[in-house]
Amino acid sequence: MKKVLILLLAVMLVFTLASCSPKETETENGTGAEVGTETGTEPEIYVGEGWSSEYYNPETMKGVVLNLYGVTDVVRPILDIFEEDTGIKVEHLTLKNAEILQRLSNEFDVGVSIADIWFTGGADTFINAAQNGLLIPYKSPPGAELDDIMKDTEGYWHGTSLTIVNWVVNKELIEQKGLKMPETWEDLLQEGLKGEVAMPNPASSGTGYNTISAIIEVKGEEAGWAYLEKLIEQVSFFSPRGSDPAQHVVNGEAIVGINPTDGGRELEINNPHIALVYPEDGTGWWPQPVAIVNGTKNEEAAKVFVDWLLSKRGMETIARERYAAVARQDVERPEGIVDISTINLFATDFQLNAERRDEILAEWEKRVSAAAR
Amino acid sequence: MSLQASKPVIVLYILILISVVYFVLVPVVSVVYYGISSGEPGVVFQGTGRALLYLKNSLQVSMPVTLIATAFGLLAALTLWRVKFWGRSLMRLMVLFPLINPPFVGSIAFIMLFGKRGLISHNLLGLTVSPFGYYGIVVMQCIGLSTLAYLIISSAIQEINIDYEEAARNLGASEGRIFFSVTLPLMIPEITVAAMLVFLSSMSDFGTPLIIGGNYQTLASDLYLQITGLYNMRTASLSGIFLLIPCLIAFFIQKYFSGRQAYYSQSVASENIEYTSIPAAVKGILISLTGLFIFFVIIKYGFIALGAFTEHWGYDFSLTLRHFYKLLGREFAPFINSVKLALGVAVVSSLLGVVIAYLLKTRKLFCVRQLDFLATVPAAVPGILFGIGYLVTFKYPLFGVGRFIFPEMSPVILLGTGIIIYIICVFRYLYVGLKTGYALLEHLDPNLEPAANNLGAGDLKTFVHIIFPQLKPAFAAAFLRNFTSTMTTLGAIIFLLLPRNKVATQQILQVAGSSEIGFAATLALMLSLLSLLLLIVFQIIVNYQGLIGWFKSKWGRVRRVRNVKMLTGSNFSGEKNRETT
Repeated sequence: MKKVLILLLAVMLVFTLASCSPKETETENGTGAEVGTETGTEPEIYVGEGWSSEYYNPETMKGVVLNLYGVTDVVRPILDIFEEDTGIKVEHLTLKNAEILQRLSNEFDVGVSIADIWFTGGADTFINAAQNGLLIPYKSPPGAELDDIMKDTEGYWHGTSLTIVNWVVNKELIEQKGLKMPETWEDLLQEGLKGEVAMPNPASSGTGYNTISAIIEVKGEEAGWAYLEKLIEQVSFFSPRGSDPAQHVVNGEAIVGINPTDGGRELEINNPHIALVYPEDGTGWWPQPVAIVNGTKNEEAAKVFVDWLLSKRGMETIARERYAAVARQDVERPEGIVDISTINLFATDFQLNAERRDEILAEWEKRVSAAAR
Repeated sequence: MSLQASKPVIVLYILILISVVYFVLVPVVSVVYYGISSGEPGVVFQGTGRALLYLKNSLQVSMPVTLIATAFGLLAALTLWRVKFWGRSLMRLMVLFPLINPPFVGSIAFIMLFGKRGLISHNLLGLTVSPFGYYGIVVMQCIGLSTLAYLIISSAIQEINIDYEEAARNLGASEGRIFFSVTLPLMIPEITVAAMLVFLSSMSDFGTPLIIGGNYQTLASDLYLQITGLYNMRTASLSGIFLLIPCLIAFFIQKYFSGRQAYYSQSVASENIEYTSIPAAVKGILISLTGLFIFFVIIKYGFIALGAFTEHWGYDFSLTLRHFYKLLGREFAPFINSVKLALGVAVVSSLLGVVIAYLLKTRKLFCVRQLDFLATVPAAVPGILFGIGYLVTFKYPLFGVGRFIFPEMSPVILLGTGIIIYIICVFRYLYVGLKTGYALLEHLDPNLEPAANNLGAGDLKTFVHIIFPQLKPAFAAAFLRNFTSTMTTLGAIIFLLLPRNKVATQQILQVAGSSEIGFAATLALMLSLLSLLLLIVFQIIVNYQGLIGWFKSKWGRVRRVRNVKMLTGSNFSGEKNRETT
């Protein structure tokens, strides 16, 4: 009987030790990569095909695993191509914006390192994370190619591609009901669209918040809220998630849906009854950033990832695989992606909108409950 | 008849006791504390107001759903087991479909069928009603949860001793009187269990309100939204406390009812339980109502399957394998992770549960009632709340004192390890093995073990060679339940997953929210088929002798009845699960 007991204790001990061991191996990899930079002299820059990074070391970095948080599964093929180029494997987990923020702050408080990089999400959550010390600043050399609006001045995050707010319109129902195809934000207020506009809840969706904050910023406080009050009347309910309205419009539950897009036309191509419309009088947008998580045990490899992603090679991959409008101007636009220069983008102060979030949402809540009465 | 516990058994028992306290009690207490300590009184007050508002919604949904689903379950159970009619076996099979429920896509199917421009409501009936909101949630939950109620109640019906009914009949009671004063009271324990489980599932369901709730969100879905949308886990925990309270109340009410099983029949189940005479009108109503329920089930599942094989679900019905090709292009890892998790959890949790049941019933031990209660508590804790409890508990080092004993060792923090999702699922489903174990042990000859001991076999040898083979059916039943639950679980583990061990349900939730609903249907269908396949394999492994017998016997009726019982495994209140070997 004693043997059983000893065995049991042994098993528990092994389990306890086993849960420590992965960390040790990770640090080994990390220290191995640092050798190149500690020499003090001008670092040797590795030059790959269409990308370069001073932190990349082909010998030590093969087999390193980076953990990535993001908001979409579409990044998977991009990560696979990165692995082909560098031998660094990236495991990704798709979560909601706020979940990522919550997790990072948890991991930071405790000192547990799960994620090394964060790629895709709303700019406001990245700004929030940077303010709370959850990110490491890194001014990646290829990042210099980006417009200032696409990146953080301190280097906490760099935009990779654009997410643009557009409208998913059910053409069939517009015709059936004899409505005007919406072109401007005013067109959403037409009588026939009452109860037929689908919009995500700004309190729970980044798209929803971006839309209302941009409208307030562009139209001004007074005119902005006056417009939003009328818009509230048109919406039958505010859906919990940003991706819901498109689904509702495709199913005919609504006629126009306010929707975040990468710039692709897939939805239109797969659904002949759907049209994607970019408002003529301007629309909300935000960059899809990439950032290095504070506390990562693989800082060097994470920097390689950022360098690669912001390079011409990386951006071309994003444009092709994600079907997205990217931040670099020198990348050829693949067939089927909208040309950003033809779209009227709202001038947006992301920093300010991130700071005003609570205030704007409280006001929004007030107007919505007033309309319900 | 309890045996004196030997030393190793006591040590093992203490280990189990400690781990149950540590992995059940501590997280639940932590999350409650975390919620209450969410900051200034003003914040707590505001959070309470919000929680109460959504609690009202939750109860408004859960109460009617509990009533309707339990009633439908009872009706279907009566019809399918006590009324004889053509096509009954087929209907019995169909009713089991929701056991391998493809997660999240059912609500999308509902929108397409009964929405503003739904196929049935608009194109067929000419109505234009919004499916979003209160009624959508209630209807979806009723369809899903009636099956749960049916499974539990039907196991009671099969065990009923109709001699009591015969006796009443011979004494001249009318059929209606017999039903209400004999048949129904005999089934009270199972009916209350069914009602409680339906209530708990309805309360903790966040997927349905999220997809079709519209403006009408419940406490569970608001909890999810508070974390994912409002970035606030503390106020979410505060809401969680309000979600926990009614669940615990329901739990205690049921315990109270099942404690009074004065009516319980002790004899062997009757072989022939059909009503011999039943008015044609009653029979017609029973069959048509059950038929209606099954019709809904078929529509739902058929429509999901249709979505997986057509161009655009609900819109363009030309056949395609497009979604399957897309599936091949994606990573398979989440599916493999799901299977690994479900297998691991089902084996460990069921085994541990049965062993605990065995120890508690056969040994003189301490803290028996406390352990039993603690192991059953997770049944009443909504998964998402339990998950937050793990998050706030295990971000701290495991057994903080360990650092003083081994100063060299870095603290073991469970958060961020792959094992934590296994642990949470094991302890969350521990009660299933425990309850099936209890039920079976009631029929185990208490003299078996002393006999083996007298013949010189040690505790371990006795357990492995004598007791475990007897407990195998309980283990198998618990395994089936735990396997299917873990395959489709998400709430409890959603905040604990790592990039490398993400599961398929998490991906399905992501896709189900996008416009690629055909693909979502495909993913969900694949998950269901995968669990079905593995269950069949498992059945063959466990029952291979039985299957040979099944082929030899004329119709295999007995075997089939037992399989259904094993699938239901509904021994919450001590169902009389006969040892049939």
